[in-house]
Amino acid sequence: MAVLTVKDLCKTFGAGTARSNRVLDHISFDVRGQTFVSIVGPSGCGKSTLLNIISGVEDHTSGHISVTGDSGSPARLGYVFQDPRLLPWRSVRKNMLYVQDSADEAAGTRVDRYLDMVGLSKHGDFFPGQLSGGMQQRVGIARAFAVEPDLLIMDEPFSHLDAITARGLRAQLQEIWSHSKKTVVFVTHDVVEAVELSDRIIVLQPGGKIFEDIEIDLPRPRRQSDPAVATLQAEVLARLENMKALTPTVASAV
Amino acid sequence: MTQTVTRRRSAEEMAGDAPAWRGRLTSNPAARSTFYVAAFLTWLLLAALFERIPGPASVVDRLIEEFRRGEVFGNFADTFYRFSIGVALSVVAGILIGVLIGLSPMARAFLESPVMVGLSIPAIMWAFLTVMWFGFGHMSPIVTTFLTAVPFVILNVAQGVQGVSRDLRDMSSSYGIPLTRRVRDLVLPAVSGYVLAGVRFAVIMGWNGVLLAEWFGGSGGAGYRARYWYDANQFAGFAAWVVLFVGVIIVLDQLVFEKASRRAFRWRDQTH
Ligand SMILES: Nc1ncnc2c1ncn2[C@@H]1O[C@H](COP(=O)(O)OP(=O)(O)O)[C@@H](O)[C@H]1O
Ligand SMILES: [Mg+2]
Repeated sequence: MAVLTVKDLCKTFGAGTARSNRVLDHISFDVRGQTFVSIVGPSGCGKSTLLNIISGVEDHTSGHISVTGDSGSPARLGYVFQDPRLLPWRSVRKNMLYVQDSADEAAGTRVDRYLDMVGLSKHGDFFPGQLSGGMQQRVGIARAFAVEPDLLIMDEPFSHLDAITARGLRAQLQEIWSHSKKTVVFVTHDVVEAVELSDRIIVLQPGGKIFEDIEIDLPRPRRQSDPAVATLQAEVLARLENMKALTPTVASAV
Repeated sequence: MTQTVTRRRSAEEMAGDAPAWRGRLTSNPAARSTFYVAAFLTWLLLAALFERIPGPASVVDRLIEEFRRGEVFGNFADTFYRFSIGVALSVVAGILIGVLIGLSPMARAFLESPVMVGLSIPAIMWAFLTVMWFGFGHMSPIVTTFLTAVPFVILNVAQGVQGVSRDLRDMSSSYGIPLTRRVRDLVLPAVSGYVLAGVRFAVIMGWNGVLLAEWFGGSGGAGYRARYWYDANQFAGFAAWVVLFVGVIIVLDQLVFEKASRRAFRWRDQTH
């Protein structure tokens, strides 16, 4: 598990140029322990940028961000992307070993365990191009879990999949997560999905400010068919209608 | 218009009732040998029609004669020596400069025009220039080979490096993959096809270059020997050497590059 601290975080692309674009605007939040946090917001509001700043792929413009392990040690990160992002010239198994510490002797058995967990134990020697999109995405998920990360970040991991595959993987994700001690930051534009999975939902609005920070206090495992889940989904959706009403003024103020 | 939909047969059915000879007849090796047979027949025909085109029989005679006189191995040894050094230098320099151009926009801005100029200069120009610069000897064919081949390697490698997926690079840095592993598992496989294509061009262009430089250089080698027969007005001797040039390049290409590229793209072939 990890401690993620974000304070007054700002990100401006092309700062100081004519095409300067402020994407994140004074974002502050903390996540710690075995918490599943979703970041929700319309497309283009800076969700992926935020994850890239957390993972260190992208710099931030100002503010403070830190990710540490629970004991203060450096945190290990797992990242599931919107697309599988596998090396096409390496087998499934070698793709998973690619992100493992080469000195770690247990890496091989761990890779096999997580491949098995996503139901692909027979496909270790396949090349990614020989698998369907859904299977490739499962490899991406297994790859992230197999590094046994303190912090797992996921960027709309199910948005490219068909509804049936996505539903199965959501259930699987809840199951694996409940057995593993991980802090998860999960990005989605789908409020319904966020309510089903999360302990907490942070809503970003266009222009990159936090609109709301909502606790989801429902027992697990949750099912989409559960009335309590459905009620809360409707309620959160209704609250976001407010944001839509608010969006034009936000847009004109930016 | 009406369309008749017939029952479509499965791959197993089709394989089951097609005789084995048909499979062999439509295979790639069969297509290749068809080409060679057709080329040979065309040659026979042209030789029969035109007096100044030597037929296969006289060319083979001349070939045997050249082997018997011991002209073949010595001259080819010279040519290969020059060719290998020129091509090896162009591959090493081409990969280094290509990677540089692929990674750095400044290097690209600086080197792009010289490379395009280099591409557009024909081998024969380099052959003349290097003979003027270096006189007769090994130097002018080596430099001609190098200068003819290197722009092709640079261009291909630079294109490959620029094509390494941004997404995969981001993935690698988010997982903190060390540089050596990133080069081995991401950059090299992504670029290997381009490097191979570049080297293949280098070999073919370099072969061109070395023969031309020898033709004008007058210091031994396969190109020089072809010139000798040409000047003596002996077209069968000239044609014998052309057959040798072409044969060598085809063997080199088929044996080395076909195998190497099949190996490099195994992952892609298994994918569909
Ligand atoms: N590398 C970049 N350079 C310039 N602008 C970018 C870059 N990456 C993203 N953006 C801009 O940042 C905004 C937010 O993008 P993103 O974080 O991908 O949104 P989301 O993931 O919420 O859909 C968009 O307006 C996008 O155009
Ligand atoms: Mg995004």
